[in-house]
Order: sequence, then structure tokens, then C-alpha cells
Amino acid sequence: MPLALRDLQAEMAAYLVSGADADILGSIVGDTIPAAARLRIHRHQLYESLATALAGTFSTVQQLVGDPFFRSIARAFIAQALPAQPVLSEYGEGFPAFVDTYELARGLPYLADVARLDWALNLAFNSPIGRRLTAADLSSIPGEQLPSMKVGLAPGTRVIHSTYPLDRIWSASQPNASTAMVDLGGGDAWLLVFRRPDDAGFIVLTEAEAVFVTALAAGASLEDAALAAFAANARFDLSVTFSRLLDLRVFVALQQ
Amino acid sequence: MSTTRIAIAAALAAAIAAPAVTQAQGNVEKCYGIAKAGKNDCQTDHSSCAGTSKKDGQTDAWLAVPKGACEKIVGGKLTSS
Repeated sequence: MPLALRDLQAEMAAYLVSGADADILGSIVGDTIPAAARLRIHRHQLYESLATALAGTFSTVQQLVGDPFFRSIARAFIAQALPAQPVLSEYGEGFPAFVDTYELARGLPYLADVARLDWALNLAFNSPIGRRLTAADLSSIPGEQLPSMKVGLAPGTRVIHSTYPLDRIWSASQPNASTAMVDLGGGDAWLLVFRRPDDAGFIVLTEAEAVFVTALAAGASLEDAALAAFAANARFDLSVTFSRLLDLRVFVALQQ
Repeated sequence: MSTTRIAIAAALAAAIAAPAVTQAQGNVEKCYGIAKAGKNDCQTDHSSCAGTSKKDGQTDAWLAVPKGACEKIVGGKLTSS
């Protein structure tokens, strides 16, 4: 008796993860191409397609480790995290954490941070542009009211902290990068990833600037965020930083 | 209004009033960007059937050594020991 559709789907999903076809084999038609071969073709196609999608999202990771190694990480990830929805650009949220625990990548301790940056760039790239807060929008607000104002971060904007020089690792991994070497001991990096008009990008922040943006993102007023940044580094330049962030269009107005 | 709050208000007002001046101070850094090709759901590099093989695709599962840009990272290892 044929399996109920629900059971067939469950067995198919189990086969796609494990590759063990004993349970499902009887439900698959076979002629000149045997059923087992049909299943293998489908499973191979699925893994290759998803690995290619991951390579598009995590292109810097792929550049760093090369395609064969990337695909072996990707296949291991896919087997334990098949997509839960059909949009491939939204697939791979758990990949950075997976890279962090992947035994064979243990010799590359910075790789998970690179994956986090790739994922943040992917999210920013797929974020709507929308209306952004500009200096002109704020010019009508009385100066004494500015400190208590709150601003929101535009969709796709986020701060990434790494204990490695992530910006330089990223630069060295780009297709047309110079052959300059990167010193892994180059110190921490704080990056601000955001949506640009035609793509996504990031800039390097100081620690105090990262504290400022993180505080704003958590809902602090401009004054409280500035005080937190001053506490991180007394030489924090509020005027330059705020101006620069406004120019990058990373803020949105909040309903006050 | 405290002295600190006045200073913060002044700094914020300056940022809004004179963005060109702060840019001239050289604090605007290079911005790195990505350019992505469009992603189609069932597409691989060559064709929709590029992944179609009768093999199970595990032939390179033994690969444990990355071959890529890692050589440029001093202090990173190339082997996965």
C-alpha cells in the first residue's frame, strides 16, 4: 500500500538528511535509471544548489577557504539545517555559528566572524532603502532638544565586533585584493554594516563609536549614547561621529 | 541644563549644521561595499542542471585543507589541526 503523502514527505526529508534510502526506496519508480540512482541525483542536486546559494551569501568565507573546502562545510551545514522557507537569500542564518563549531575549520578561528560579516552584508543588501534621517531633517529641532532625541537604526544596519582585524581580513579576501599580508594579531575591529543606495557596505568604527551606535540601537537618547561613548573613550568626538553617521544615512526617525 | 548636556547639545548641533566641515577633517573613512549578482532560486553556475550527477557528491568529503586566501592571513593556520 502506498504511503500517505505526509509519511512520504517525512521519509523523503529524512532521506535527504541521512542519505539512507532503505525506507523510501520502495516508493520511488525506477526503470533504466534505478530508483536508488534517482534519489541520489535529487539529493546531490539539492545539496549542490544550496551550497551554491550559501557560497553567494558567504562569498568571503568561500574566498578564504576555497570552493572545495567551502562546499564540504556547506554540505555538513545543509544536512543539519535544511531550509525552512523557499527564499535562498534568507537561508544560512545559522551558518556562522555552525562554522564556529565546525571541527575542520578550528584552525581558522576568525572564520566564523567573517561569516557573521557576510551574513550582515547579506541582510543589509536585502533590506529596503526607505526614508532615512538626514541632517536637514534635524535642522529644525531646537538645539537644546537634540540631546534627549532618540533615533533608530535603518533596516540592515548593525555593528559587528571581532577580536580579529576583520576589515583587513575581508579586504584581503576580495577577488582583486592586493597580496598584502594581514596580521591576525592586529587587534579588535568594530564594523558598521549598512544598506547603501545600490548595495551594502561597511565602515570601520572606533570602540567608542561602536558603543554610541549600539546604545542608540538599544533605544538610548543621543545624550545617553554619547555619555556611554565618552565612558568608553574620553576622546570620543561626538560631533564628527554623528555627522558622519548622518551622512551615511544609517538612521531613521523614531516617533517621539 | 548641565555643562555636559550643553556640550553634547553643541556637538550635535555642530554635526547637523556643518557636515562638510567635519568631512574635511579626514575622519571619513573608506567604505567597503559588496556587489552581488542576482540570485535565482534554482540556478547554479552553469545551468539548472549543473549539480545533476549520478554520483552522491561526496567524493571530496575527505578534503580537510582550505585552499584559498588564507595564506594572506599571518597567524592563521592552513591545516585544521
